[in-house]
Amino acid sequence: MTRFAFEIPMLDAGDVTLRAIQESDLEPLAAFYATERSQFVGGPLPRVDAWRIISGNLGHWALRGYGMWVIASDQQPVGMCGFIFREGWDEPELGWQVWGGHEGRGIAFQAVSAARAHGVRAFGLNGVISYIRPDNARSIRLAERLGAAFERETVFFDKPCHVYRHPKMEEAA
Amino acid sequence: MQAPSSSLPVAPLTQAPRLETQNLILRGPEHGDIEPMIAFLTDRERSWGFGSYDNRHDAWRWFGLNVGHWHIHGYGYFTIEDRESGEVAGITGVWNPDGWPEPELGWALFDGFEGRGIAHEAAARAREWAYTELGFMTLTSNIVPGNDRSVALAERLGAWLERTYQNVYMGKEMLYRHPGPESLDNDGSVEAYA
Repeated sequence: MTRFAFEIPMLDAGDVTLRAIQESDLEPLAAFYATERSQFVGGPLPRVDAWRIISGNLGHWALRGYGMWVIASDQQPVGMCGFIFREGWDEPELGWQVWGGHEGRGIAFQAVSAARAHGVRAFGLNGVISYIRPDNARSIRLAERLGAAFERETVFFDKPCHVYRHPKMEEAA
Repeated sequence: MQAPSSSLPVAPLTQAPRLETQNLILRGPEHGDIEPMIAFLTDRERSWGFGSYDNRHDAWRWFGLNVGHWHIHGYGYFTIEDRESGEVAGITGVWNPDGWPEPELGWALFDGFEGRGIAHEAAARAREWAYTELGFMTLTSNIVPGNDRSVALAERLGAWLERTYQNVYMGKEMLYRHPGPESLDNDGSVEAYA
């Protein structure tokens, strides 16, 4: 049996589970990326590009040893969160997105908390950043609730962006 | 802060087999192929017929996309290595992302490796692998009008123009149909090399 360069662990995150993305996640992913709600995470994008997010996600795990999980609630994919470190990133980022109809349930907080803790334990990623657009009030609130603090302004993919810094785990409450 | 170097995976990025020809090795993508691939994809003069990118970020994402493609489909683009020098000469393989009309046999050579028959030798081997190991019964190659070099190679591989279609990224493309596995010669090659 060939051993691959990565395994994507399944994580228990309270009410939700973090698991590897799969091709069958295309429909909800493409539906999210078809809407303006994806404007803060690279969208909107056509369906063919949503497929490339799935394969690119698996490639990211292989190349970096870490990446983004799908957030599953009652077996249903409802979003994504985890670590992104592509060409053009200053350093590994903790990112998240919750798909339509699943916001406001505290899903992202639980999921991102679990991903962040696993990053410290398993990937040596501690005190990471999150790139957040200044008009993304919902994500700013979540970052602050997670204990992250505004660090600096930057320009990210030609748009103004704020860098939030997550606390080192031993400093976190 | 930097990504801890200890997190750099050392196991193969994909399950791609290692295939050999007289002059070449076809193998899965490796970390060391990233820069040659980015150089190719961001060089519009070279990659316009393949799909060019105007920035390193998108080119890097294409590299990861190919790695993930291997995991989803069990096939993708091999890196072509020149057996004698060990240099990375280009890519060839089977490509089938969402939106593609059919699985495609594709190829591209990096700067300095054209005119030596490398693409033919590599693509013929990848096609043979797809027929004998993956069980494909047919393959196509999508070629942008004006890419005469690729048309010549497709024809040398025995493929014929079947129709044109609109590719989701490339616009109008010609779809070439390859001879099927029934055309395999006894020695395992799809046809005698010229």
